Amino acid sequence: MLDGVTTPDGSILFDGCDTIVKLWAKRCKEKAGHTAHREKEYGIWQSYSWTDFYEHARWIGQAFMEMGLRHGECVQILSEDRREWIYIDLAVASIGAIPTGVYTTDSADQLAYLVNDSQAKFLIIENDEQLDKFLEARDKMPGLQKAIVLEREGLRDFHDEQVMFYDELLLMGRKAQEKHPNRFEQALEQVQPEDTRMLVYTSGTTGPPKGAMITHRNMMFQLVSAETLLDVSSEDEQLCFLPLCHVLERIFSVEQPIRAGAVVNFAESPETVFDNLREVAPTLFTAVPRLWEKMYSRIMIMRSEATPMGRVVFDWAIKQGLKKAAAKENGKSLDPISGLSHALADWLVLSNIRSMLGMTRIRRGTTGAAPISPDLLRWFAGIGVPLSEGFGMTETAGVATVNDPRNNRIGTVGPALPGCEVKIAEDGEILIKGGNIFKGYWNRPEKTAETMSPDGYLLTGDIGEIDDNGCLRITGRKKDIIITAGGKNITPAEIESKLKFSPYISDAVVIGDKRKYLTCLIMIDQENVEKFAQDKQIPFSDFASLAHAKEVVNLIREVVTETNAEFARVEQIKDFRLIDVLLTAEDEELTPTMKLKRGFVEKRHKALIDQMY
Amino acid sequence: MTTVLDVQNVESFYGAVMALRGVSIQVPEGQIVTILGANGAGKTTLMKTVSGVIYPEKGHITFAGDRIDGKDPEKIASSGLAHVPEGREVFPFLTVEENLRLGAYSRKGAADIEDDLDMVYSYFPILRERRKQASGTMSGGQQQMLAIGRGLMARPKLMLLDEPSLGLSPLLTQEIFGIISRLNHEQKVTMLLVEQNANIALHTAHYGYVLELGRIVMAGDSEKLLNSADIQEFYLGQQGESQRGQKRWKKRKTWR
Repeated sequence: MLDGVTTPDGSILFDGCDTIVKLWAKRCKEKAGHTAHREKEYGIWQSYSWTDFYEHARWIGQAFMEMGLRHGECVQILSEDRREWIYIDLAVASIGAIPTGVYTTDSADQLAYLVNDSQAKFLIIENDEQLDKFLEARDKMPGLQKAIVLEREGLRDFHDEQVMFYDELLLMGRKAQEKHPNRFEQALEQVQPEDTRMLVYTSGTTGPPKGAMITHRNMMFQLVSAETLLDVSSEDEQLCFLPLCHVLERIFSVEQPIRAGAVVNFAESPETVFDNLREVAPTLFTAVPRLWEKMYSRIMIMRSEATPMGRVVFDWAIKQGLKKAAAKENGKSLDPISGLSHALADWLVLSNIRSMLGMTRIRRGTTGAAPISPDLLRWFAGIGVPLSEGFGMTETAGVATVNDPRNNRIGTVGPALPGCEVKIAEDGEILIKGGNIFKGYWNRPEKTAETMSPDGYLLTGDIGEIDDNGCLRITGRKKDIIITAGGKNITPAEIESKLKFSPYISDAVVIGDKRKYLTCLIMIDQENVEKFAQDKQIPFSDFASLAHAKEVVNLIREVVTETNAEFARVEQIKDFRLIDVLLTAEDEELTPTMKLKRGFVEKRHKALIDQMY
Repeated sequence: MTTVLDVQNVESFYGAVMALRGVSIQVPEGQIVTILGANGAGKTTLMKTVSGVIYPEKGHITFAGDRIDGKDPEKIASSGLAHVPEGREVFPFLTVEENLRLGAYSRKGAADIEDDLDMVYSYFPILRERRKQASGTMSGGQQQMLAIGRGLMARPKLMLLDEPSLGLSPLLTQEIFGIISRLNHEQKVTMLLVEQNANIALHTAHYGYVLELGRIVMAGDSEKLLNSADIQEFYLGQQGESQRGQKRWKKRKTWR
């Protein structure tokens, strides 16, 4: 329990509010004309105020009430990140209904599955491309009442009984607002802390996706508990680019900014993140390891293209930076001479690296959702970007543990949030209890029961250990444990994350359940391997020929051999194959966060696996 | 089958622009290999780099067993590589026959030049009719025939054809490509063909590469390329069934 903020009935107060929507309404009133969101239109950043935020959400909420959306019913949102996404999110939550998102990369069938599973009455659709998906699968969604399209472009001649446009929705809301001036606020006041604030679908690496119900209380807990660890102020600028249907981006780009009144800038598209980063220069930035890795490789590619003199200076400056970071990690400070050379290195090189990455104003970077290399964290510390790793899952409403940037224990995911208890079961599984544990899976009480221990702990399914400082270290997934034919238990994640720390490997899946020895399927990083091949003058044409090039296979073999050296004999990889198709987020083998799905990969690439046994 | 042309990891600049960002292709003897790509993909830069008009910044080019990167274009031409450039570039004030004889310039004194002239005329009868006419006064299609004929006169081991369909009517394009196919069959001329008209190029060639932004994104025999969903949508203009009968958005390219 959190001291001082928990009321006798168990709800959590922040700023006198016990639900996200009350806090949001309060913040909108206070911040009024200040900027809440920025979005690029025709290449120019435009600002939108907290008043815009509130008014739009109120119209949308009113319109949904007109159309008969009731408390506890779902609205599906199929769109890339944009301010309308968040307007609709808060509008729906304010009237006690439940917003939930679909990845834009999902197929028509996946969309139909999610709409049916959540029993959604309404579906928000971003544009004509996504509309085609809906039209393709509409027959499979009998329960859906209406689809609302945000963008009219390319749809001027389109008319359909079941489809309306966003501007029509707003107009309907405006009219309703005149008729019932207080209805929205009344509904908002009636939302209870135990009501579901959002439904977040788990990525479904095993079995069909399940909707996790996250309550207002869960989110209030996140805000209060992380207040000191992940402080946000109204001066902060953020960049929103990870999918908002994922709980991580929802916390960092919706709930946290509401807590403090920070500004959220929307990236134009996933492809332009690096440019948008430089334009915005956020003070807080949350990303997945893949993106931090890309930043690193961008800089390293620039280094390799620099003059020999430039390279020497670069390496020297990085060394100074790493020295300072190492001193800080050990709780020491630099001696005066080293301090001076660090200042020089920072002035000459490190500050330029930061500005090339858009990290000139960065106060705190966070990473999560997948393991990240400790060396990479140290490198970022070295160039002056404080980056800390956290851990959480949808079922813990986002964050469960996070490193304090002021006391970053690299290699761990940090201590549990205040008010949240983390312990390790006898079989090594991580168990978590606290105000952030979700209410359960939507319409799946049996699955909810499976994931909770009798004494109220969430069974995370992850395996880990807690060090002497109370920091958690994740070692793998329980379900993924491989039992070889020899009877040895192996956690593949440990081996896989070591492999992934190589810039040439973007993901790997270790195989060996009920087999004589371990093997591995590897997805190479296109950009870095292409660069390698080009530098070494290795001929290749398309991606497949790159993956088949002898030198590339040898390069990966070296990484595998290096990794093997860190493991006991039975845990060593005997053979591997490279996946020779360039996978995209649309492929079933990949999660929207570009992680390989073990089950799908094993099925799809069975032929490759069989070659190795 | 021996490889006539082997391009490895070539990087070339077009002015300040890096037009080729590491391109590797191979042309086996007796085959037609085609390069597809949109405007600005680097197709012509690749051709010019092979024939020596542009020096590659990096990479190797092997032609008939010899390294030719960095060699002067006239040396490369006389070693048996004929470049039929984009836009034909015939000598307008010379007659058709003079243009053709110029094509055999590097074989000066060879006895069989007259036979070859007959061979060219047999493929392009219109050129025989107009042998005394100044070539600048002929139509675009006839000039294209002349440019190809001029290339043939060098008895090349490899002929580079840069957009032979440029500015030609559909019917004429078919005729020219028919002759290109016949030359390949009957005269065993090896060709590297750059073309915007992906349909006709893939139906003529044995093997193809897709060049985008200076990189090869896809390679395969023509059959495979013709059946690829991406090629069909982005190069052959075929669209999948749409729910609304019209479609503005493009699917993402995967190149499979």
